[in-house]
Amino acid sequence: MPRRMLLLLLVCICASSLYAQDLAGIEVHGFVTQGFLFSSNNNYLTMQSSSGCAQWTDGAASISDSLTDKLRVGIQLHMYQLGQLGGSSVRVDWASGDYRFNDYFGVRAGKVKTVLGLFNDSQDVDAVFLWILLPQGAYPVDNKSVFLSHLGGEVYGYVPLGSRAGKLGYSGYAGQVNLDLTDGYVKQLGEEGLVFTTAPGGKSYGGDVRWEAPLTGLTLGSSALVEALDGTTSAGGIHVPPFFMSAQYAEFKKGRFDFAGEYRRVPASATLTFGPESFPDPVDQREWYVMGSYRLLKKYQLGSYYSHYVNKALDTSLPANYSKDWVVSGRHDFNAYAYAKIEGHFLHGTGLGYYTANNPNGLKPNSNMLAAKIGFSF
Amino acid sequence: MNKTCWLILLFGLVGWGSAAVAQDVVLVANKGVQISEIKNSDLRAIFMGEKTRFADGSHAVPVTLKGGAVLEVFLTKHLGESPEEFRAQWRKAVFTGQGSMPRAFDSESSLLEYVASTPGALGYVSRVPATDNVKTIAVVR
Repeated sequence: MPRRMLLLLLVCICASSLYAQDLAGIEVHGFVTQGFLFSSNNNYLTMQSSSGCAQWTDGAASISDSLTDKLRVGIQLHMYQLGQLGGSSVRVDWASGDYRFNDYFGVRAGKVKTVLGLFNDSQDVDAVFLWILLPQGAYPVDNKSVFLSHLGGEVYGYVPLGSRAGKLGYSGYAGQVNLDLTDGYVKQLGEEGLVFTTAPGGKSYGGDVRWEAPLTGLTLGSSALVEALDGTTSAGGIHVPPFFMSAQYAEFKKGRFDFAGEYRRVPASATLTFGPESFPDPVDQREWYVMGSYRLLKKYQLGSYYSHYVNKALDTSLPANYSKDWVVSGRHDFNAYAYAKIEGHFLHGTGLGYYTANNPNGLKPNSNMLAAKIGFSF
Repeated sequence: MNKTCWLILLFGLVGWGSAAVAQDVVLVANKGVQISEIKNSDLRAIFMGEKTRFADGSHAVPVTLKGGAVLEVFLTKHLGESPEEFRAQWRKAVFTGQGSMPRAFDSESSLLEYVASTPGALGYVSRVPATDNVKTIAVVR
């Protein structure tokens, strides 16, 4: 189905009612966003952003039903176009059955969003964030399918620790990860000569523990994940043996203020094969960010963050191996269902988000960017 | 109108405004719900989707108003959340497949009607309801 028809369908769903539809307990929700990006130098995220580009559309529709007190089933379809990434195909974002034995223990199975750090599972849900782009070191919008979801299962729950010790939320999961063929990592491999027709994938397992401290508004957490990737093409392939990544994070909400920070490390030893020859492609990504926001008025929110990424496995003095981004953002909510955002980026380094194909004359080390987005959610 | 009248009117309005902000809501539940009081931390956990059961183990069905001052008082006083944060938390749960949004109503009368007919339903209204089709629940801090 052509992309425009799918978008039209989603918009019609949204326009048909301001509220989520509820047909005898069945819940239908959806969102649509449209973004715009302009950059002073370089073309970012496969868009012709140096000329101003609006090729940035996201849409999803979900349907779910509680079959019993303990059992809920649902599915969400998602499409996105980000420059040359994504495209007309509609993907199953998640589809799961969720059986909650009690408040301490539940099980989800199917295609499940992966809980990792503060925002991994919710990074596509633009309506819940002040930011247009989340810190790209930790949540690269062009490379999200590596960790976004898995086919398998998850156990989860909440454990109260007493009135003076807060409570603990946990999740543990295992399954199969498959990269999206239209995602940035696969595109980068294609630019190097490895054009995949079957998505690279591998086993993945991990968990997350987050402590809601007795100090109201404070959450501290830690995530860990082990993942492997393998894929072959007629020209060669990629092999990434199981690697361990970790994330530590904190969030503090007080009144109109919200602060958060996260540190992650992703060390992996990929091997790229071209015919009979193999080349090591080592990665030791260190990523962290700090962010703060303030709700100025009921409908206005302002904030700023700094995101830092460096690949320690390579020469960190080269702009291609780091990315440092200062960001300022503003958001206006027109009502409960529609909003607009604007965001400035002051980006140093070219380690994230740039592609050779639409930067044929090379990259300048620094670039400023202006992003804008409108969104609808019900 | 003289200056004194203006001052009385002004203080009256300010006082009325403060009272409107400060007033609390009344928690209502389906008559089949066995508990008569609930800890505020449990109330928060139920409305934020972290708990699905009352202290006696029975299933809880939180329901809410779509907007207005009563919703704001409930969220601020009992959940410590603004309407925007509350909505964002639930959108996150819905669009990641981790939860179903509480049913929301345009008016207190339709909320009361739903609570009266739905086992386990728990909601809130601005004043003690005239009907005896629902029960009121006390909140313990």
